[in-house]
Amino acid sequence: MSSASNGATLRHVLPSGMVALIRRNPGAPTVSVRGELRVGAALEPPELGGLAVFTGAALTRGAGERSFQQIVAETEGLGCSVSAGGGTQASGFSGKALAEDLPLVLEILADMLIRPTFPAAEVERLRGQFLTGLRESEQDTGYRASVAARAMLYPPDHPFSRPSSGSLESVARITRDDLARFHRRYHPALASIAVVGDIDPPAVVAELERRFAGWRPDSAPEPVSIPDAPPLAGVRRGDIAMPGKVQSDLIWAVHGLRRSAPDYYAAMVANMILGQIGMGGRLGEQVREEQGMAYYCYSDFEADLGAGPWVAAAGVSPENVERATEAILAEIALFREEGPTNEELDDARAYLTGSLVIGLETSDGIAGSLLGIERHSLGLDYIERYPAIIATVDRDQVHAAAQKYLSTESYILSVAGPV
Amino acid sequence: MPNPVIAHTLPNGMLVLLKESRGAPVATSWIWYRVGSRNEPAGRTGISHWVEHMLFKGTPQIPAGELDRLVARNGGVFNGFTWIDYTAYYETLPADRIALGLQIESDRMANALFEPEEVDSERTVIISELEGYANEPETWLDEAVKAAAFTRHPYRHPVIGYREDLEAMTRDDLYAHYQTFYMPNNAVLVLVGDFDADAMLRMAEESFGQLPAGPALPQVRAAEPEPQGERRVTVRRPGPAAYVQIGYLAPDCRSPDFAALAVLDSALSGAKSLTFMGGGAQTNRSARLYPALVESGLAASAWSGLTPSRDPYLFELGATASEGVAPEAVEAALVAEVTKIQQDGIADSELARARKQMRAQVAYGSESVTNQAMQLGMWETLDSYRRVDTLLDELAAVSAEDVRRVAQAYLTDRRRTVGHFVPDTIHISG
Repeated sequence: MSSASNGATLRHVLPSGMVALIRRNPGAPTVSVRGELRVGAALEPPELGGLAVFTGAALTRGAGERSFQQIVAETEGLGCSVSAGGGTQASGFSGKALAEDLPLVLEILADMLIRPTFPAAEVERLRGQFLTGLRESEQDTGYRASVAARAMLYPPDHPFSRPSSGSLESVARITRDDLARFHRRYHPALASIAVVGDIDPPAVVAELERRFAGWRPDSAPEPVSIPDAPPLAGVRRGDIAMPGKVQSDLIWAVHGLRRSAPDYYAAMVANMILGQIGMGGRLGEQVREEQGMAYYCYSDFEADLGAGPWVAAAGVSPENVERATEAILAEIALFREEGPTNEELDDARAYLTGSLVIGLETSDGIAGSLLGIERHSLGLDYIERYPAIIATVDRDQVHAAAQKYLSTESYILSVAGPV
Repeated sequence: MPNPVIAHTLPNGMLVLLKESRGAPVATSWIWYRVGSRNEPAGRTGISHWVEHMLFKGTPQIPAGELDRLVARNGGVFNGFTWIDYTAYYETLPADRIALGLQIESDRMANALFEPEEVDSERTVIISELEGYANEPETWLDEAVKAAAFTRHPYRHPVIGYREDLEAMTRDDLYAHYQTFYMPNNAVLVLVGDFDADAMLRMAEESFGQLPAGPALPQVRAAEPEPQGERRVTVRRPGPAAYVQIGYLAPDCRSPDFAALAVLDSALSGAKSLTFMGGGAQTNRSARLYPALVESGLAASAWSGLTPSRDPYLFELGATASEGVAPEAVEAALVAEVTKIQQDGIADSELARARKQMRAQVAYGSESVTNQAMQLGMWETLDSYRRVDTLLDELAAVSAEDVRRVAQAYLTDRRRTVGHFVPDTIHISG
């Protein structure tokens, strides 16, 4: 049980190990709660794909003394909301309320995390909704291209090789007991919670102490860990024909990096220049602005515990798939060869530091940033240090990151579109 | 107590709305034009949206590709969007950089180039945007419902336009549209953020005061006649599920019945955030449609919505059918919920819930200067910026009887268009 504060943020560790990050933001009479646990689909057996996502979503379906109907009636009646969900590397939960209604939100969130009841009828309803959602996803070109890319990027036993939402078969197979068993992995030592808004931080600490006091699991925490993947060798391409579609989604992909990688900031700046800044960086400039081939073309990477995919993606007419692929590969080759210009580097650094205040404008934005800081042990002074970190990213580092991660020789190409 | 909104009309007819908001060191600049698909003649559908795209394609001072870099370099975010009644652009920036937003908007209000090669390049970008929408079954259903619900009013056309119109549109068509509607007397500038309102107004006057007013604007004469009976449309295409969408011809946002219709919508599916930038709370699961459609197993999701509009638009309901459930059963369940309210009205507890939910949604929206400015601009374009403040009072004045009355008056069989999306049997490879 320890507390530390930096400027406005109070960091408090509960006796159970759960970390609370609390910050007063009196701009509006509201409060945002965001939290997460290092428990996710990476821990589930592949034959029960979707279990972490299902478990997370089921938390609102009955918790403590309340039924799902009571939870939504009480929260929504006050204009509050509570939600929870699972992902591959973490499970999250959140709440939003007028500041006066924070106690109710914390009470229900604590019940959801500690005392979910998984009523059988609710589990079946949720399953039906998931199955419809999966059927819709299976006819979504972007989703199909992304799933196929991941299956080619990672070996079958790697958690990134499969979608966290599971498949029609695996979701049909999950039982109520599976959910309850997976929920036992929820452990306060793997949890953090951020509370930001028009609140009194010491009072929130007391409320959290009270609400989460009963969270005492009998097992040791087992956090998610993500193995490395074997490097790609050569080009692999997958094409998925989908009836009734008009446009193709195409994805180029390689392995990215972990958030803890020493060249994370250089890679982030590289990605910004390649496919983010303005209308999609160089890729957007070339594929959209110059060649008029796509409404969107961008790049992005997922750097968390594991090295997620680094992708470039575009939605194009089927007859333009090869031309767009060539344009993307040409931009990547050029960027690898020459690196960024000094002007591009200046723009990216100015954007990253300048836009910091916009990301921290709302309580949701602040809470999300605090969670990220905790997730990656960045320290409460991270926001103050951030401009200096970005300022030290130089041209050589960005060029080196582009050369290290991007490739036009070993990559995955995934295309889903009209037959 | 929130700061007041200052309204000032420049000599060229442009209205400036300013509001100090000192919560964070950010500011936002929005420009709104009273033009959208509502103003488009047949054969020119999608022209407003395309003009919006061209305003990102350069002026003599800020060449194509430079605008986005300029905003990024200053730590800002920006976008533009086109809707049925309005077109809007914004830049949200660190407060000390807000002058850039004014510079960009005053420049492109008058000096956008519309270079022929940029027009041609953007044609295929927009067709690509259209094709992306056409990948979604819901787009096909929505377009079919709108086209059936409106026989004379341009609301029957999609904002993105029809492909054949996009293929035929010329640079001169686009430029004429720009020259007609992008005038100070058809624009509203909205500034919200961490600034001194007096100093900001002087800055707005300097940026926009020298722009000449344009000629009188063409009026939209089309009025949708009273429907003479239910209309039905069916779309059969490959798709993952059956979808149902129902639209009732509803009054515009200036109608005295608008607030009662908003409460009716809340009773069906919760009070919504009045911006489309997100950040609100989910409020639908304790309302009427969710238990009737989703908890009953008929549908995977269900919704209702009332769009504030300049001319009469639609009060809509919709749902995604569960596997094995016919769209007819989903339609019947949606209509049954409307019928219940027409017969029995709503409970006082539902009224109270709608009010509290709306108060909360307004508070969530007030956290961001971007959202605040968006609400002010949208309401001024449709009616008056004062509605942002008066809407909660309007909602508070609605009685349960009012809700029953408007449900009976507007959600009638003869004002209804029903659309079904029926998935064709298909085989998916892979």
